[in-house]
Amino acid sequence: MNLPTICRYTCFLLLISLACTSMQAQEPQQKKKEKAPLLSGVTVSADIVGFAMKAVGAKFANMEVGARINFRDKYFPAAELGIGDCHKDGAETGNSFSTTSPYMRFGMDYNFNKKHNGNRLFGLFRYGFSSFKYDISNDTFTDPTYGTSVPLRLDGEKATAQWLEFGAGVETKLWRFIRLGWSIRYKFRVSIKTPDEGKPYFIPGFGKNDSNGWGGTMNLVFDIGKGSFKSSKEKKNGKS
Amino acid sequence: MRRRILLIVSCILMLAACESYDCTLYNYVGMYGTFEQEGTAVQIKDTLTITSGKDGPTLLNRSVNTARLSLPLSYWQDEDTLVFTVKGEDYLVQDTVWITKTNQVHYESPDCPTTLFHEIQSIRSTHEFIESITVIRSSVNYELTNNLQIHLLPASD
Repeated sequence: MNLPTICRYTCFLLLISLACTSMQAQEPQQKKKEKAPLLSGVTVSADIVGFAMKAVGAKFANMEVGARINFRDKYFPAAELGIGDCHKDGAETGNSFSTTSPYMRFGMDYNFNKKHNGNRLFGLFRYGFSSFKYDISNDTFTDPTYGTSVPLRLDGEKATAQWLEFGAGVETKLWRFIRLGWSIRYKFRVSIKTPDEGKPYFIPGFGKNDSNGWGGTMNLVFDIGKGSFKSSKEKKNGKS
Repeated sequence: MRRRILLIVSCILMLAACESYDCTLYNYVGMYGTFEQEGTAVQIKDTLTITSGKDGPTLLNRSVNTARLSLPLSYWQDEDTLVFTVKGEDYLVQDTVWITKTNQVHYESPDCPTTLFHEIQSIRSTHEFIESITVIRSSVNYELTNNLQIHLLPASD
């Protein structure tokens, strides 16, 4: 096991233990059980980081929007759609890789916070899928023995990938129906089909093409429909 | 609480810093071959030189006691022509070998060197000292196992 893998696993365990401690700390305070309506609203969201990365010209970015249905302020079936964008040049090889392709994810968020105070602590699960095209090129591709130089161009290579994501997230109320949320996700690539010529460097929605990896989102979330669930205390006090 | 936030931020920064290149360590694509005479593995004790065609690059230069060959194939030609020259104290013999093959780009990552894999389709030769050539493994890639077995004519007394 190499150093980056150890580092990843250590961080993953640390994050899980932190989430557990914060959940345990909340338990004594929850004496009165509050029950949210079955359908407590719908949320739509956009990942700010992906759009910001694209705006500043980063090598890769996953720009995505999402929607969730809120059941009892606890179960949130979720769907996320996005476009993965990557343009990467090799440091010394002359190789270039580029793709701009869609991806989608489906799954569920589970809110561990039993108090309906506008803050949410999530455990999350996603299934991700992308069918995408990518281009590979090298304008200075040379046969080292025979010396012939022929530009290498593989355009429109097709691949499909599926993966699973597990993670945790937090979400807090900013103003009325606007929320801000963060999530961190550990991703496992389940399958990938690629042509014989070359593997893709980047999988839209997944990130760098590897058997596993980490990812994260910073979401601007809007509660719509029935709106955000109001706690019984807020109703009693007549707060909005 | 501050400590906890600091720890989470540190973890995220550590994760962002973890990047590695997973290039194949041994990335030489060569066609490997051994020599055989009357069913027995042999060496070519005299000086063996292999060139690509008459005026092409030298692929093996003045090798002695040669038991195994490792030769690069051309990236883009459909047929490679190799000239085997064996020079002894009082003789010089030449054979020409023609190898028909496919060329398949092998791309791993922008940060790894791109190369070509090949599939040997047919092989033929002249018969000054080579009797025949058997293709044992047609795929020419990163594997180090033999592709060819070169059968030499029986030694004349």
